[in-house]
Amino acid sequence: MRIRRKGKLLVEPPSSATGDIAFNLIVFFLVCASIEPDSGRPQEIPRSEENREKKEEVKNIEVAMTANLNAVSLNGDTVRTSELGSRLARILKTKPRPEDRIVIVKSKTDTPYHHWIDVTAEIEQSGGQITIQREEVQTIEVQ
Amino acid sequence: MKISRRPLAANVPSMAMGDIAFNLLIFFVILAKATDDSHLQWDPAETIDVTRAGAAKVSVVIDADSKYYLNGQQVGIAQLAPQIEQILGSTTGDDRRVLLKVHRDATANHFEPIIEAVSEAGGTIMHVLEEKRLKK
Repeated sequence: MRIRRKGKLLVEPPSSATGDIAFNLIVFFLVCASIEPDSGRPQEIPRSEENREKKEEVKNIEVAMTANLNAVSLNGDTVRTSELGSRLARILKTKPRPEDRIVIVKSKTDTPYHHWIDVTAEIEQSGGQITIQREEVQTIEVQ
Repeated sequence: MKISRRPLAANVPSMAMGDIAFNLLIFFVILAKATDDSHLQWDPAETIDVTRAGAAKVSVVIDADSKYYLNGQQVGIAQLAPQIEQILGSTTGDDRRVLLKVHRDATANHFEPIIEAVSEAGGTIMHVLEEKRLKK
């Protein structure tokens, strides 16, 4: 004769721990989200002493920029920012020596960083070696 | 007449051990983050081609108010080059990498001295940027 068990056994997770589990999961995902690795672009800029020496030897390409995002100056000529890459590539094609591929970047003091990044990216993609020439600030004392 | 107390058992609840270990693990992971400049307000500029910046000993931030921070501490522009040189010491290769986190609208009179200071200190510049998503 078979004896039937009275009722079924309840198998429930302990409800007191669910709060802890939820909290730990939140913390875990927060930490995962905050440790996103930085991304960016490496840039090699020679030291200022080296720049001076090289400037004296050869006539370098000059790119000047201002707060105007649509245009830059290439060797004194105003060109559209979108055309800078192709124009530079054409010029640099005729310059195989690395010392001739130096591009002097001049920026007006109000040039925004995102514009500077766009322009220098174009120069590097065209095969140019960036060097910075800052605007000189002179203090004149009036007696 | 003295009534002797029953000795009380003082066991550490073993159920919580997993939770404690997990919380400690997360705590040390957060501490291990190299430099904490997450409290600074700056928006990165965008570019098409980006690579992983990796870890660096030195991180320079120009925030939305054009203030300079070296490894999370506010500094003046004049102190920047010698301090970077001091931190980099005689390291070589990738250890000379300097992360440059510049607010996208910062102007040349603020960020160019930093680039010059890093190059003078012999550091390798890594501009921290965001990948530009092209519109379809």
